[in-house]
Amino acid sequence: MVTRDVVLDILKTIDDPEMPISIVDLGMVECIHLAPPGVSVAVDLLPTFVGCPALPMLEQMIADKVGDIEGVEEVAVNFVFDPPWTVDRISESGRRQLKEIGVGVPSQSAACQSDLLQINLPVPCPFCDSTQTRMTSPFGPTRCRKIYYCESCKNPFEQLKRL
Amino acid sequence: MDMITDDLKTPFSQLLLSIADDKLIQGHRASDWTGVAPILEEDIAFSAIAQEEIAHAAELYRLVADLTGGNADALAFGRAAEEYRCASIVELVDEFDWATAIARHFFCDHLDGLRFGRLANSCFTPVAGLAARIQAEESVHIEHVDTWVQHLGHGGDDARGRMQQALDALAPHASMMFEATQGGELVESAGLFPKADADMFDQWLTGLKKITGQAGLTLNVTRPAPDAVGGRRGQRSGDFAELLDEMSEVYRQEPEAAW
Repeated sequence: MVTRDVVLDILKTIDDPEMPISIVDLGMVECIHLAPPGVSVAVDLLPTFVGCPALPMLEQMIADKVGDIEGVEEVAVNFVFDPPWTVDRISESGRRQLKEIGVGVPSQSAACQSDLLQINLPVPCPFCDSTQTRMTSPFGPTRCRKIYYCESCKNPFEQLKRL
Repeated sequence: MDMITDDLKTPFSQLLLSIADDKLIQGHRASDWTGVAPILEEDIAFSAIAQEEIAHAAELYRLVADLTGGNADALAFGRAAEEYRCASIVELVDEFDWATAIARHFFCDHLDGLRFGRLANSCFTPVAGLAARIQAEESVHIEHVDTWVQHLGHGGDDARGRMQQALDALAPHASMMFEATQGGELVESAGLFPKADADMFDQWLTGLKKITGQAGLTLNVTRPAPDAVGGRRGQRSGDFAELLDEMSEVYRQEPEAAW
């Protein structure tokens, strides 16, 4: 029988095309609808960035993989902005995986809602944990990342924007 | 609420189109700088900003298409020049003058921050959630452009002179961003585009002047005359025809193609 958990397990195997962690760890999956049970599946997904170019790829991957579950006849992916995605939705496991590949994730803190307010907070290097770091560009290889440099271990690294 | 009444669909679409068209054209102009910006970081910055502006526009076109039964690609690329609702400031050719590009973004990005703040409080939920995300993304654009206005303002006589000249040249166009869209009062009073605590023009000018003041620059922008007619009513500047022709070239070859 198709259950939400079955669908969720499949979604856990789908990585974001621009970030090598699953869309579940990334906090993009907001809701899984089954109607009537097992026949038609709809996944509500929160885009990380408005109009992110990875979204059509994700839609296709979800349609393919969830569509392969026995008993599923229809798959729909809805992109919704309510509630808004934030970096706080990234799971602990997701944070660890990103740190391992040199991408820092801003710490969870409800008090800091934007990059502007966080400008003076130390950004730890994902490689050596030093806070002797500086931002070299607020724009990076993808729209969700900015570029930092670690003065301590002399490595450049990427940091997710806190938006 | 998820539905709006028929009488509000046209005025609300006009408002959303004015914003989407500003963003599409600003993004298109910004993409001209890919590879030729003064420094590598700005190649990346202007490319990222262009991508974001166009992505924001695409989502707004989708909303308008949902409201009016149209198609987002056709709205973006398939309209006649006089059907666009952008302000002239985004249409102008910058002649690869860096100060002009920065001045354009300075005026536009600050307005985006304010108008998406208002849309984030819209009673129409599909636009409110989207607007909140766009406003957050715009905060990075504002931080970026403010930094450049200050850099150039403090960059010696030549840089300051050019920045001042660009601000002065674009000021009349910046003012026309505030030309009312058709049925503008209706969407305000219906709560679709709710008024903020303070007047948006005053808020905008105060925000800009804070930065120009710190940068040793002056700013002289006035409200548009109530009867002024410009881009929001379909009047296009001389630079638009060539821009539209270039921008829609691929689309026109195969309008039904999936992107």
